[in-house]
Amino acid sequence: MDELLDNYIRFLATLTPAYFVELFWFYFVFEFVRYFLLEFVVLNLAKIKSIFNKSNKEDARRRLFMENPLVSILIPGKNEGKHLYKLVNSLGEQTYKNIEIIVVCDGSDDDTPIIGRSLEKAGLIDLFIRNEVRGGKASAANTALRFAKGKYIIHLDADCSYDNDAMEKILIPFFEDERVGGVGGNVSVRNYKESLVTTLQGIEYYNTITTGRTVTSYLGIYRIISGAFGAFRADVIHQIKGWDIGPGLDGDITVKIRKKGYKIRFAQDANCLTSVPNTFRKLIKQRLRWDKSLVRFRMRKHKDVLMPTASFKLLDFFSAFENITYNVILNFKWYVYLLIMLTFYRPLFLNIFITNILLYTTTNFVKFIVYSLYREKAHNSMSYFLIYLPCMVFYFGIYLRVVRTIAYIQELFFKKSYQDPWNPRKTSVHAKHLGI
Amino acid sequence: MKQIAEHKDNAESVIKHAGFSFLYIRNLSPIPVEEVQYHSAVIIEVKNYDFVRLMVSSIRANHSPDIYLKPIFLLKKDAQDQPVLDELSDGAIKGLDELDLVVPTVERISTRVQDLTFTNSISFEAQVITKLITLLYTKEQKTVEPFPYIYSNIGYYFPLLSVNFAQEEETVALDILKIAEEEGILRSDYYDRVYLCSSCSSNHLSYREVCPKCSSSNTTPDDIIHHFPCGYVGPMQDFKNEIDDKLDCPKCNKRLRHIGVDYDKPSVIHECNNCNHKFQDYHVHAKCLSCHSDKSVESLKSTEIMSYRLTKKGELAAIKGFVTTTKDIDEVIGTIKYDTFKTMLKYEIERLKQTEGSSNICAINISNSSQVYSKLGSDLQRGLLKDLVSVIRSNIRSSDVIAFESSSTIVMSMNAIPNKIAKKIIGEMVSLLNDLIKTSFEDLDVLFDTKVVALDYAKTHDAHLKELISDFS
Repeated sequence: MDELLDNYIRFLATLTPAYFVELFWFYFVFEFVRYFLLEFVVLNLAKIKSIFNKSNKEDARRRLFMENPLVSILIPGKNEGKHLYKLVNSLGEQTYKNIEIIVVCDGSDDDTPIIGRSLEKAGLIDLFIRNEVRGGKASAANTALRFAKGKYIIHLDADCSYDNDAMEKILIPFFEDERVGGVGGNVSVRNYKESLVTTLQGIEYYNTITTGRTVTSYLGIYRIISGAFGAFRADVIHQIKGWDIGPGLDGDITVKIRKKGYKIRFAQDANCLTSVPNTFRKLIKQRLRWDKSLVRFRMRKHKDVLMPTASFKLLDFFSAFENITYNVILNFKWYVYLLIMLTFYRPLFLNIFITNILLYTTTNFVKFIVYSLYREKAHNSMSYFLIYLPCMVFYFGIYLRVVRTIAYIQELFFKKSYQDPWNPRKTSVHAKHLGI
Repeated sequence: MKQIAEHKDNAESVIKHAGFSFLYIRNLSPIPVEEVQYHSAVIIEVKNYDFVRLMVSSIRANHSPDIYLKPIFLLKKDAQDQPVLDELSDGAIKGLDELDLVVPTVERISTRVQDLTFTNSISFEAQVITKLITLLYTKEQKTVEPFPYIYSNIGYYFPLLSVNFAQEEETVALDILKIAEEEGILRSDYYDRVYLCSSCSSNHLSYREVCPKCSSSNTTPDDIIHHFPCGYVGPMQDFKNEIDDKLDCPKCNKRLRHIGVDYDKPSVIHECNNCNHKFQDYHVHAKCLSCHSDKSVESLKSTEIMSYRLTKKGELAAIKGFVTTTKDIDEVIGTIKYDTFKTMLKYEIERLKQTEGSSNICAINISNSSQVYSKLGSDLQRGLLKDLVSVIRSNIRSSDVIAFESSSTIVMSMNAIPNKIAKKIIGEMVSLLNDLIKTSFEDLDVLFDTKVVALDYAKTHDAHLKELISDFS
């Protein structure tokens, strides 16, 4: 152990700035610049903007309540009956009151129809639609959309819960800028204390959603409105004719709205809590689905965004380009880095590996603590996560990277997403045939 | 039962046969129902069923035993079944030449009528129960079955009982059957369940699926279509075009070709043509055809229909006369319910175990109650019971309680006094009661029996009560 330590100290002593960049270019060029420096700068700019924008935001809120438009809340899903009563009760607590709740039961085989009907009868749900045959998430959302009467549409997941001012907060951006077509809510982890994997996802959600989306929203390249909590202008969503077949329909609909020329905003203060997979095995299943959809939608269905066509829009290009670069290309690039290190720097590999871990972990600590100053007040105790931060480098850097790699290979070469049971086969067959 | 030989005889309407006089009612020739009492039996010609129903009902619904107990025979050439009419009558013949066949029935009914004691019952309920049980006794019938009946307001008809009520009051029959069961006169078995209008208790309801928002029944269903390739979902109306009768997807403009392959119909949606509300789960309303109220089916009165059997006690009540129901005597001020009396007696026995004091229970019985009640109308009967209780109450201490064991037996407690004194008080009480009868009710002989039982804590309360009333049959 002492020898290892001596060896490592000697290695550190040899590190000149140029040598450092040579050995740790991957961290320095991509991770540090993109996920620390850039985010830090943008967070500051966003903070400054929000200070100057305060009166505008208050004015937008006033206009929202003066106009008081009907807002349709769509809750599509299968076997979600057990969550419904809690959810509709929490919706009754919302500060924004002019809402209609539409629940679509997508071929549930549990007590959802009975629960839904009784809630509809009790007046807690405005419309409960039961589709006897499962059609998939997109068809269930489209069913609800077809009967929605609101000027704005909010899409929720039944197993999530919401701050009592969440609906109000997610609607305000529409009144701040009339070119906004969709707004994504802030999704945090409710069951972060359940297991190690949920805690790590709690940290991940803070980084990628709360911070990450604030940054991309400021830059105008925000690209995914979570299905768990997303708001849309009804006329816009009707213009793009609702949701297309998933998986990955959240990202797909966001791109469709962007393509129509509307802005997408992230509302960090519109809080939603969701339950995340509580085992690594379940998480793999979920992430394989999510990661495959990146290839399917960004690189296939919406590849036109990257082409210099007549409808080319720079922000849309950057939105897709950044996503593909940092998730797909750099993911494979990391293996190149690994290979180079193993091939040309084999004697130093252990030291390089340790340094990388230390670099990423230190960055994680700094980011987590510093960025917490830019977040709205969170439900979760931030100090709880601190002792778990060292695990993030393995969770995010290795575990999720491997899962992503598998997903990209499966989708790039085998189009596996069309076999995902998340969608009924009858619809996947057509999606594959149409290449969407 | 008297036969008045010299009443105005209509040669065409009266048939003398085998020593009996049969009143023959021809088709559509109504006869005043009072005529019935002067004959041994009635024969009704069956051609027009409405007329027959009217005649049979007016006889059986009459309040006089001389009329409602009369045997009725239907003269019908065809063998068409009319279960309710068959239940109300005592038999059928195909022609007047078959009169011999019904003579034994007339004889039997006339004989059984002689067994009956008719008392003036206190309440209307008791009067109707009397009618029912006397009819059952004379017809040698043990059961009171409900008949599904289109003319019944509640859907089921108990012919011998329901005949006493107008259509809109038929539920009273159910209340009376319940009282008779509580009195131990009838025993019930579950038969069916009906749902009645919550406003008027009618079973004549029209059930309709209505809009949950405005309750209109003017709704149109439409299939919901899911187009697989683009995920569009909407009512079939969305897919219709103006050119042909084919279906085109409004989202991707593709023609729908093959159900199950490129589209399916996962559900149905209804649209209200009155308020445009769309819904899947319509409400079910019941419109009452009697009172026109239109309410949700959940508000209907769920009512059990039972079939009944006459008990031995019921049979005895028919012979000895049925005067009053527990409900009637429970309402006499100054008394407590017999069950409460029993409970209090139980506690008093328990108390005596600790104190070894001397307590008593006493009973005063009207031994000729049938005669007494027959002479009095229902109001006077109630008045008599009230007066008796008031005299008794003024002669016992306020801590003692009075209850009716039956309509003819009053029981009371006399706690914490020696048996001898209790006997003395009860003797004085009887003389006071006799004085009361003399002054208040002219020409009325009321015979009182009394008994006093000293409480013995070694015996149960039931044993005490049994001993107390054992002498009164």
